[in-house]
Amino acid sequence: MKMDLEQLRKTAAEVAAREEVKYLVGWKQGTYGYRVAPAFVEDAAGAAELIFSPLCTANLATYLTLAEQLPVPRGGEPDDRKVALMVKGCDSRAVTQLLVEKGIERDEVVVIGCPCPGVVDAALLAEKYPETEEPAEMKWDGENFLLIRGGEETKIARNEILAEKCRLCRYPNPVVSDIMLGEEVETWDLAEDEGVQELENRDVDGRAEYWAEQFDKCVRCYSCRNVCPLCYCQDCILDRLNPTWVNRSVNFSENTAFNIARAFHLAGRCIECGECERVCPANIPLGKLNRKLAREVRDKYDFEPGVDPDAEPFQASFKPDDPEDFIL
Amino acid sequence: MSAMLLKKEKWPEFVEKLAGKNIWAPQAEGDAMRFAPVAEGEAPALDYNNTRVPPKGALFPQTETMFKFQPEGAQVDEPQLEQETVVLGLRPCDARAMAIVEKLFKWDIDDPYYTRRRELTTLVGLACNEPGMNCFCPSVGGGPASTEGLDLLMADLGENYLLEAVTKKGEALLTETKDLLDEAGVDAVKEKEKLVGEAEQKIKRTVDTEGVPEGLPGLWEDPLWQKVSASCLGCGTCTYLCPTCHCFDIQDETEGLAARRCRMWDSCMFDEYTMHTSGHNPRPTRRERTRNRISHKYSYYVDKFDVIACVGCGRCTNLCPVNIDIIETIRQVKEAL
Repeated sequence: MKMDLEQLRKTAAEVAAREEVKYLVGWKQGTYGYRVAPAFVEDAAGAAELIFSPLCTANLATYLTLAEQLPVPRGGEPDDRKVALMVKGCDSRAVTQLLVEKGIERDEVVVIGCPCPGVVDAALLAEKYPETEEPAEMKWDGENFLLIRGGEETKIARNEILAEKCRLCRYPNPVVSDIMLGEEVETWDLAEDEGVQELENRDVDGRAEYWAEQFDKCVRCYSCRNVCPLCYCQDCILDRLNPTWVNRSVNFSENTAFNIARAFHLAGRCIECGECERVCPANIPLGKLNRKLAREVRDKYDFEPGVDPDAEPFQASFKPDDPEDFIL
Repeated sequence: MSAMLLKKEKWPEFVEKLAGKNIWAPQAEGDAMRFAPVAEGEAPALDYNNTRVPPKGALFPQTETMFKFQPEGAQVDEPQLEQETVVLGLRPCDARAMAIVEKLFKWDIDDPYYTRRRELTTLVGLACNEPGMNCFCPSVGGGPASTEGLDLLMADLGENYLLEAVTKKGEALLTETKDLLDEAGVDAVKEKEKLVGEAEQKIKRTVDTEGVPEGLPGLWEDPLWQKVSASCLGCGTCTYLCPTCHCFDIQDETEGLAARRCRMWDSCMFDEYTMHTSGHNPRPTRRERTRNRISHKYSYYVDKFDVIACVGCGRCTNLCPVNIDIIETIRQVKEAL
């Protein structure tokens, strides 16, 4: 896979300079170690800092719905220019799902697709190759990753540090885009979802015990909710005080209510970008919960979110032959 | 200040001596660490860098029941705190944070919950030999072996721990465990000082705070806040994991017919934090919230209590999902001054 940075920056500069574009959201090198930060590019010059590398894990689609709408001052005009967005395969599914749900309109975005051979699990990488203050660079190199820092290059086998979401990825190429950068990548053999399988093999008590332990750690920072491109309700039940659906008390019961509500709300909507799990400061394996529900939806209803922009939203549609065997 | 030595093999016995007290210590949880009560008969391992969630909950629990009440009758049941607690192995930055936060909790009135817990708690720190990548405690008045806020400081000398009492409570703990301890010689103290010096050398990142506290209010409308907050998700990671963040909310919660009034951590990064009943929000966007978070730590708190409310532990920077880096933010503030 060849990612031509020059081409990327040139294209981004051209898009950011368009009059119809408010800003472009892409990735830039972070302030230290393996960090990559979201970049908001407002003009052609700003595109020079953009990168696309195996460290670009973040799904930037969340910024489509996270952008704050301030009241327009009297006599002013609302700024309804487009937002340009760089997407990997998984990220593009979030855009598609937002289109399906009418969370955004197609003409509000310019999608720049980046075919993605898979990103790294930065935590795993840091475990094997300790992070230092110096910002590191990374590249794809055939079947390997190339870690570049301090003038040294280290070749790391792909499977050693590939992110879990990428091991399970069926859509490395963007499913929606206005501009595609580089060539499409070939899909790869999928790994078994061992995390989910292992839990499925436990009995109900075993599963309850597992999740009790996990939810007990939750500090309710809501980073999983906020990072999720598909958690974009203007008025979230978690923030409601009148009535209070979920108490503010942080304990196992309330934490479970929150985590289950979040997971169910994403059933048939989660596009498995893995951001919730990546950002969780308590290391709760939220991906397993989401992927289990995604699998149920796929197996029972033959539905996969974020693939077809013309699909009907899963939770808002009904077919007479939908299975009902879960109704007691 | 008396200095004693504890052989590492006697560590389990040392912990055992404290039986009857509530012991908090760093504990592994998957691949993360957090402070949690230690089960009886267990000796926590202290080979850790720092916990993700700070130990502030030992004095300021994330959720605290202030009292319970019934809908009928004016019966109020107020839990009494009596249990003595020892926090083992907290890092000097986190103890310093407690000393900083205490200024607020003892400011106009003594906050009964915080002060009672502090009275009942002995804080046993552990000096850092291996600071983390984003540690910058010396830049904000701390250090890898700072004793501020601590009752007792431990230092890892390889085969032994050096124990130095800082307060009377620390002395009392040394007396309680004296059977297990040996007098520390000058050499041990020198060895510790050498390790502290080396640890300081390992701290690579720094912030320059000169002029920042006075200058921040003048940057109210500066474009830097838009820049810093552009990528902010508005989650509570930076504040909940911050050892000096101390904002709380008070809520009445019901369970069946019983009700309780509790206070719980709150975060100025949440939009509902400043939301008025009218629907008006004086901090309507993440720009204002970010400005407040930084200004509170680096200016307002300094104005009121003469100390920066940031201890340089690096947690907000380590765990921000979008790489909002407080060291970089202060650098940008300096640049804008």
